[in-house]
Amino acid sequence: MIVRSHLHGMILASFFAAMMMIGANITSMVPFLVIGGVPITLQTAVSVAAGLFLGKKYGALAIVIYVLIGLAGMPVFAQWSGGIGTIFSPTFGFILSYIATAYIVGRLTEHNRTFKRLAAAALLGTAVNYIIGTNWMYMAYMLWFAAPDAFSYWMAWAWMMVPLPKDIVLAFLAAWFSLRVYHAMYAKKRMPSTKGGIA
Amino acid sequence: MFEHVIIGQYLPGRSILHRMDARAKLASVFFLIAAIFLTNSWTGYAVLGGAAAVIYLSSGVPFRYIRKGMAPIFLLVLFTFFIHALFTREGDVLLSLGAFQFYEDGVIQGLFIALRLLLLVFLTSLLTLTTSPIELTDAMEQFLSPLNRFRFPAHDVAMMMSIAIRFIPTLMQETEKIIKAQTARGADFSKGSLKDRAQAFVALLVPLFVRSFKRAEDLAYAMEARGYNSGAERTKLRQLIWKTRDTAACVLIVVLVAALFLLRE
Repeated sequence: MIVRSHLHGMILASFFAAMMMIGANITSMVPFLVIGGVPITLQTAVSVAAGLFLGKKYGALAIVIYVLIGLAGMPVFAQWSGGIGTIFSPTFGFILSYIATAYIVGRLTEHNRTFKRLAAAALLGTAVNYIIGTNWMYMAYMLWFAAPDAFSYWMAWAWMMVPLPKDIVLAFLAAWFSLRVYHAMYAKKRMPSTKGGIA
Repeated sequence: MFEHVIIGQYLPGRSILHRMDARAKLASVFFLIAAIFLTNSWTGYAVLGGAAAVIYLSSGVPFRYIRKGMAPIFLLVLFTFFIHALFTREGDVLLSLGAFQFYEDGVIQGLFIALRLLLLVFLTSLLTLTTSPIELTDAMEQFLSPLNRFRFPAHDVAMMMSIAIRFIPTLMQETEKIIKAQTARGADFSKGSLKDRAQAFVALLVPLFVRSFKRAEDLAYAMEARGYNSGAERTKLRQLIWKTRDTAACVLIVVLVAALFLLRE
């Protein structure tokens, strides 16, 4: 556990909120970070890391703060967007669901920080992402877009199946990234030096 | 890129809307959002549109900023309009293009929803264009403070929001610096297999995390050394001041919402 005191936990949560912003927009900072034509956001990776490093309470809190500063108008969401209007975006549910992701990862990796465990937690987190995100999207279309009946609940799900393979890969990557960072910072055994970089 | 990120959407200014109390603006926007969802008649939308125009004129914000804020939602508005126009099959056929038929009710419904979305985004972007994130944080804190009774730490949340807002530019500069440093050392994010790119990415993440943890540690020690205690009563550097014009604006908005409620069909 990294959190030393309540205050330290709160400050770390604020920093992770700021890092979520980097994760959401990393593609525009490293324009070439596009794999197979799909720009990658690292929000899953940062929320998994928040759960792993800060535990369930402060990890989830970090994402709550991220959502709140975004609503307050900081351009922290993907594509540098922000503002209260984001609530009406059909994809706001995904932003909210990272709170659950961080919590789940924090809860599942409290005592056991193996790759298997973390990958399982990240996958579960991604599943919850999809459940909250898709339901929110459906709700958004029903409530404020007043979509006609032709737009069914299953259509919303069918729509979401398109990016699913990418997100499963990203969940594994997220687990691997955060474990690498975790070991680089805290493990007693030295990690083999990373290719092309200071670690 | 940096410039617009550091200040966020906020556009500093001295207009009436800029000088209004953030709490009054936040409350007004919530009322107006409710009004937008209640409205279901052309008269209602006309009144709302008029109100939005008046609010816009009092903000002194150049239109291109609004346009920029609304650009992402524009496709969504078009999409929604066409979904309605194509899938609602009631009323007379207005136009038929091959397999597609536009029915009267569908087009009207589509226009309503498109207007509703445009108004929502217009009004909410006016709020964030004329109110700095810090002011909005303070306003949110005050609106959330009744929840203190249910052990919801409104002050702590506001403090964390301020810290996050404060460190976003710092963290961005740091990220850019690390990207440059690692690129100079030969890290390549664009070439090679997924595994190689992921490796290069670790070289970006590790220093970023290490630096952030260090900063968080320093800040925590500094605050503890100065006796920071999250439960304590404290004064504020920036005070929100509620003036008569804020009360007047809120009363106007409430009257407007009531009128819109009566205009419902």
